[in-house]
Amino acid sequence: MIRMHSPSCTWLFLIILALIPSMVYASAPMTMTASPTNILMGARYDGVTLKASGTIPAGSDVILRFTGAPEELHLRQKGKVFGLLWMNTGKVRLNNVPKICLVESSRPIDQLGAAGTALQLASLKSTIKVEEGANSGNVDLIHELLLLKENDGLYAETMGDIHLGPDTGATRNFAAEIAIPSAVAPGHYNIEAVAVKDGAVVGQQTLDVEARLTGFPAWLSKLAFKNGLLYGILATVIAVVSGLAIGLVFQSKGAH
Amino acid sequence: MSFTMSLYLPIAGNSINCVAILGLGGVVGLLSGIFGVGGGFLMTPLLIMMGIPPTVAAASDSNQIVGASTSGTLAHFRLGNVDIKMGLLLLVGGIAGGTVGVQIIRILRQLGNADFLISVTYVLMLGFVGGYMFLESLQAMRKSKTTVIAEATPKSESTYAKMMRVLPFHMDFQRSGIRMSLLMPLVLGTLVGVLAAIMGVGGGFVMVPVMVYLLRMPMHVVVGTSLFQILFTCVNVTIMQASQNHTVDFVLALLLLIGSALGAQVGAKIGKKLGGEQLKIALASLVLVVMFKMLYDLLARPDVLLSYIGGH
Repeated sequence: MIRMHSPSCTWLFLIILALIPSMVYASAPMTMTASPTNILMGARYDGVTLKASGTIPAGSDVILRFTGAPEELHLRQKGKVFGLLWMNTGKVRLNNVPKICLVESSRPIDQLGAAGTALQLASLKSTIKVEEGANSGNVDLIHELLLLKENDGLYAETMGDIHLGPDTGATRNFAAEIAIPSAVAPGHYNIEAVAVKDGAVVGQQTLDVEARLTGFPAWLSKLAFKNGLLYGILATVIAVVSGLAIGLVFQSKGAH
Repeated sequence: MSFTMSLYLPIAGNSINCVAILGLGGVVGLLSGIFGVGGGFLMTPLLIMMGIPPTVAAASDSNQIVGASTSGTLAHFRLGNVDIKMGLLLLVGGIAGGTVGVQIIRILRQLGNADFLISVTYVLMLGFVGGYMFLESLQAMRKSKTTVIAEATPKSESTYAKMMRVLPFHMDFQRSGIRMSLLMPLVLGTLVGVLAAIMGVGGGFVMVPVMVYLLRMPMHVVVGTSLFQILFTCVNVTIMQASQNHTVDFVLALLLLIGSALGAQVGAKIGKKLGGEQLKIALASLVLVVMFKMLYDLLARPDVLLSYIGGH
């Protein structure tokens, strides 16, 4: 148990506490705006380009991270059976898996020191929890998860489309574009800009982004999830009627 | 020329290129119309490759097959190729078998290793069915070419034929031009239903050889009757999947359907022009190609050692 009886200790503690923000964000404050922060997923939605811009402290680089909707994920693990055949050998349950994680940086992220390392995709290894299937031999499950998500385009780490302006006084401008894939699910996300200088974080800004269904997809989704039986019958009837209609059209053309 | 005909599918949770989906439907529908198989064993893997989640791909494909087989059944019905009596008996057996199969899978999953059994069943069934049909058709084609011996009466009646004669409840199946016990289609339908449920497919590619070799129906009637039976199986699957798992994307299904219904119409006409043996050998080749692909997947190390639940 820690006890701070002496008044000098208390003062020292308070001074350190007061200094922390200025040590982390030593330079000028950061700003960021992003557009759109409301992603509307209508019938013509095919992914969107999220534009983010703002200012970072002079001389620093910027890392942008679009993440969100942490979820529990159930997956199948593949393994070798009888030393010959690859197939599903067990279930894996992972927790705190962000649905999406897109990382862009103004210079290769491994050149950005400790701050860069902390924001890399690989950093998810420390936050994702393996709840079931942990005793699955020598397979690095989280590494495999990263590969799976990268194949889907939901996890990515790139030298992104980021433009940095020259230093103007204590700040410099940045402008970036992040391609949000069409497979992003409706939900709450955030875009985080982190300014990095000499391997340390010197500024940080986060904005909320919401993706939601609208128009026909919203209507269809509501029907399918709220009234599944009606939706199923409707889907069947439409399929039968369309099949008959196409059949009749073919006949009327007298192809036989 | 660039097509930007993208459409967002809320159930699949992804956007797709309409032209690509229509084309995919067309090709699979063509095969379905020619051979009388649902095409599920081809369509589902191709949809997964296009970024549709496995569960949604399989369920939406069932929905699509409802439409395609309606159109295909209609086309074959007009050509006099649907044996409704036989189809209904197979269907009754199929539904009973499907129910049993689902229970078997549930028990196997509890015991573990169900996936191993599914994969091995798949490869063995595809290999056996494809290999047998291929060799048999090849022999038949050679025989008809050389026309050497117009083999006299079969040497002796096989035990299978004897068994078929002994069974009770004989009835005429006029469309197929055969007479047999109604127990035959019921029992065989049940067996196919069990297999289809275990393998998670409509069962067309098992049902067709069963009709040809065990029920001895003429190939053209087989195709029409198979489509007729698949129609009802897939209506059942679509409604079950939509109400219980919410995995049917009916917009995706409708697009696939437009492509595949057109393809199926063309396919039915091509099938009519092709000889029975050619038709069998073509289907056998297709089944063998899928079998080799599955075998390769079993033997080669996958790129990623995790997969989403729902695919094979």
